Amino acid sequence: MPRRTLLLLSILLLVGCNTAKEQGSGSGAGSGKLRFAVVPKGTSHEFWKSVHFGAEKAAQELGNVEVVWKGPIKESDTASQVEVVKNMITQQVDGICLAPNHSQGLVDVVNEADDEGIPVVIFDSGLGEGAGYVSYVATDNYQGGKLAAKQMAYAIGEKGNVILLRYRAGSESTEQREQGFLDGISEYPDITVVSSDQYGEENASSAKAKVEQLLQVHGQSLNGIFAVCEPNANGTLEALRNTGHDKTVKFIAFDPSDSLIDAMKDGSCSGIVLQDPVQMGYMAVKTMAAHLKGEAPEKFISTGEYVATAENMEEERYQTLLKPKLFGE
Amino acid sequence: MNPDVPLLEMVGVSKAFGPTQALSDVSLSVVAGKVLALVGENGAGKSTLLKILSGAHHADRGEMRIAGHLFRPANPHDARAAGVAMIYQELNLAPDLTVEDNILLGQAGTGWGTLLRGRLRPRVLDALQTVGLGELSPKAIVGALSVAQQQLIEIARALASNAKIILFDEPTSSLPKHDVERLFEIIRRLRETGIGVVYISHFLEEVRDICDTYTVLRDGHNAGGGVIDEVTDAQIVACMVGRDVADLFPKVPHTPGEPWVRVEDLSGQSSPLEVTVQLRRGEIFGVAGLVGAGRTELLRCIVGLDYCRTGVVYVDGQAAGHSLRARMTRGIGLVSEDRKSEGLAQELSIIDNMTLSNLAPYTKLGLLDLKKRGKAVAELMARLEVKARHGHQAISDLSGGNQQKVAIARILHQNADILLLDEPTKGIDVGTKAEIYRLMGELAAQGKTIVFVSSYLPELLAVCDRIGVMARGRLRDVRETSQWTEESVMECAIEIDGGGIDA
Amino acid sequence: MSATNLKSKRNPLVRAIQLILWSDLGPVVALFVILILFTLADNLWGSGRFLSMRNARVMLNSASLVAVPALGMTIIIIAGGIDLSAGTALTLCATALAILLKNDVSYMAAVPVVLLVGCACGAANGTIISTLRVVPFIVTLGSMTIYLGIGQILSGESTVFPPRENIPAWLIDLCSTGKPDVYYGWLPNIPRSVLFALVLACFVAVLLRYTVFGRSVFAIGSNESTARLCGINIPLTKILVYTIAGFFVAVGGVYHFANIKNGNPSEGVGLELQVIAAVVVGGGSLSGGRGSVLGTVTGAMIMAAIRSGCDQLSIPNPYQLIIIGAIIVIAVTMDRLREGSPEWLFRWLQSRSP
Repeated sequence: MPRRTLLLLSILLLVGCNTAKEQGSGSGAGSGKLRFAVVPKGTSHEFWKSVHFGAEKAAQELGNVEVVWKGPIKESDTASQVEVVKNMITQQVDGICLAPNHSQGLVDVVNEADDEGIPVVIFDSGLGEGAGYVSYVATDNYQGGKLAAKQMAYAIGEKGNVILLRYRAGSESTEQREQGFLDGISEYPDITVVSSDQYGEENASSAKAKVEQLLQVHGQSLNGIFAVCEPNANGTLEALRNTGHDKTVKFIAFDPSDSLIDAMKDGSCSGIVLQDPVQMGYMAVKTMAAHLKGEAPEKFISTGEYVATAENMEEERYQTLLKPKLFGE
Repeated sequence: MNPDVPLLEMVGVSKAFGPTQALSDVSLSVVAGKVLALVGENGAGKSTLLKILSGAHHADRGEMRIAGHLFRPANPHDARAAGVAMIYQELNLAPDLTVEDNILLGQAGTGWGTLLRGRLRPRVLDALQTVGLGELSPKAIVGALSVAQQQLIEIARALASNAKIILFDEPTSSLPKHDVERLFEIIRRLRETGIGVVYISHFLEEVRDICDTYTVLRDGHNAGGGVIDEVTDAQIVACMVGRDVADLFPKVPHTPGEPWVRVEDLSGQSSPLEVTVQLRRGEIFGVAGLVGAGRTELLRCIVGLDYCRTGVVYVDGQAAGHSLRARMTRGIGLVSEDRKSEGLAQELSIIDNMTLSNLAPYTKLGLLDLKKRGKAVAELMARLEVKARHGHQAISDLSGGNQQKVAIARILHQNADILLLDEPTKGIDVGTKAEIYRLMGELAAQGKTIVFVSSYLPELLAVCDRIGVMARGRLRDVRETSQWTEESVMECAIEIDGGGIDA
Repeated sequence: MSATNLKSKRNPLVRAIQLILWSDLGPVVALFVILILFTLADNLWGSGRFLSMRNARVMLNSASLVAVPALGMTIIIIAGGIDLSAGTALTLCATALAILLKNDVSYMAAVPVVLLVGCACGAANGTIISTLRVVPFIVTLGSMTIYLGIGQILSGESTVFPPRENIPAWLIDLCSTGKPDVYYGWLPNIPRSVLFALVLACFVAVLLRYTVFGRSVFAIGSNESTARLCGINIPLTKILVYTIAGFFVAVGGVYHFANIKNGNPSEGVGLELQVIAAVVVGGGSLSGGRGSVLGTVTGAMIMAAIRSGCDQLSIPNPYQLIIIGAIIVIAVTMDRLREGSPEWLFRWLQSRSP
């Protein structure tokens, strides 16, 4: 008896399936407002809240755009991000702004969106070859890395031993910072990079453990360390303080956080490379809107990069970058 | 206390589980200072009655009074507080706690959630004294004590909670003889202090020994009751079964043939010790002895389930290998003493349980022919008169007797010719017991060899062709049944226990 | 004072609930209920595309990613065991595949090697569990981090991604959920991952129901002593159980790789819980002896449907987490209800009968 009921139910569902589909394709375009999915790498870091703020700001200015904000919880969770994007395609949003958390892992799904006629704007971090997207809105991370190298050289007096703590393989944005840093440092013949093959991985605690290991080995002769992203930098700062190297080792971070700003005040941090997340979210949405209007946006749009130091950090321009606006505040 | 008002009275109690009416209109009364025997076959509703009394179940209809006051326990804790304590068949102690903590478990008088051991110490010592464990330290760990001692601690726990009525559910089923005596001594002492006792047992001689009055349950109804001294055992049994049991021990004629199984010098980890015995075709061989004499271990060693230090089992003149699998293929099968935790997989179906040990006949190209298997099982179920709706029913749905039939059916299904039955009638009602005796006789008549371990001497003496008596792991003596009496078996079993002879 | 007078006849509501619970179709009914609820909600507040061919593809594909390793876990759980190392073993396999492909090894060699790696992971668990008699929970808790460690050594503590031209076309398309909706105007486009998962599911269903091995697994999980008494070779069966489960973990690893085209060993941490949840939601009992392939597959689909539905309705992550957690707790509660417990609930339902 229950089996027969189930059979009936499944037939009903299948029928419903077809009607819903037809309904869907009819109603999607007619509503007037454009729906943009904005998919960050993850939802647990403040950086993305600033991106969210920028995206909403753009949507407000444009007037006819609604932002659908959805991302995986962990930044390392490529599988979840793939699923989020797939679900956005299913929803037939008008455009997808995506910060891919893996340069290869998201290629197929971006192409899938392209096939379904949904344009994709990539932001923050790049995507591997063969992906069909409209534009790439990001900090010039390579340039950011170079800035970090310059600040490092200045802080340690252009000579000594430095460490580059990488983030994770396959993360386009940080890899470019890493390359920029190494290229920048190579211009100073008296600076030696003693370690550049270690990865801090996704969170502060894994980064902290890694840096503590590195300090065990290189601590005595070390002059500087560069951490390429915020979770890495927070972990590095903790490790330096823990082992008492915070006064002897010059530390350059990428992306701000409250503890890093405090560290800059007390001298434990010698510089923070800043990007403009609000601008990034803003530009991503604006670029998408422009594309839909038929304009042809640039293939790469830089949102700028800056270095905050103890000297300039009180200036208003740097204050807004050090403490960018967050969505929901 | 007014002697006219019964301590506990149940009137017209009914309880149904779904379509099954477990109890209908059952009444009974317990008088202070008397022991009431509650007897009946398995499934007659005794357990349900006890559960209602102890607050685990709720009656659909009817009422209960304690000393004239309405008694409606919402849960076991309520019943406890009203003075009803229950000693279950399976012990309910926390093995890792001390004697004292076990006695005080769930006890009133623990102030502000803390256990005031000091203040309650006299009560604990008092209770231990009453159950004859005065010399035991309250700090001893319960898990290290013997089963008999643990049971006494349960009774002490009931006493410490000021129980007025104590319910015993088959308390002797896991006790050796002399501990039974000790338990009875204590029940008599409880009786003298004015406590009302309800005693459930399958052993009528025990009932006669300790009880004053009796109530018989049959199919959830009151089937009779009265003063125990006014009736004969046969009358009580007739009342339980609902008909005259002309033959409690039905005999199926069979003649033992030539010896064909030889167990030689079999020694296990601690028991059995150097057991040598020959078994004949078509024979029922009884094994008697006290609990702990090594009877179970002997069977397990013969079937290859336990590790053997020495010894060979010959079947038809050939050594039968050492592994369980090898012995099974030579036709040896065991029905375990412990149906619940070893004998049967309770959640699995009758079909699965019966065929688990021999799936080969239904395997074709690695796949099972489920239809064929179901058919074979249906035939076996009919042959053994297993009462169940269908073969897919879970074992846990069946009564103890039917479960035992499934366990026996399994070794028949695996084509065993040497059937080792370890306490096959334990916890089974009289009617089914008779069926199992008849089945044993029939199998013997077919030429199978049956080894029958039992603690219940009357059945051994009635059913077996030969009986061997074990003590301290050794097979002391083997004689034709006609040359044994209940006394001589006990003497043989206890003699060594007393330290008289030691090999 | 009157005697308590309860209806001895059963309340129809109680009967209806028990009918569903006892028919073993509880999870399937739950799946339908969830699908219907989300469809309604989506048509009211969402884009109305929850119930579409495309979303069916997406949901089925993401269900199959969990269902495949969960098939192995079903066997383990029926046998009364547990495998906490399934998640990291799975990503170890995915990482191994990525490394092999990156180093220009043909998939003809790489895939069998990966399957062997998975079986070896399972066999190692099984051997330790049955020979050293350590509880499965502890053994696999240990091997969970061991497999993570091995994976990190292989990958150099980072993500491995082979160049796209080294990945065979079938592997690229395995988890593809793209167009078209139908072929030839009638044949629905179901992702290959789903079709293959169905084949595997049928295989396990037959294995459990129609083979001596399958019946032995149920017997061991239901009562190990009984199984021993019946002459079942318990150590060997257990090793086989974990090895077979390892095979499914390896297939899951291939799926995982096909889905995201890279291998990172640390992504498997926590995955085992999704896999176990699928089995439990599908009616598997952690105390062993019960579980079914249909249930597990349904369990995986329930979780996928919830994730997809929450995405469609733009329900934020934290609430989605709470919903998934609640579903697991409800599923396990249902499991208890099947056994007629807790008694107070049934009594209460009965007392409210008209």
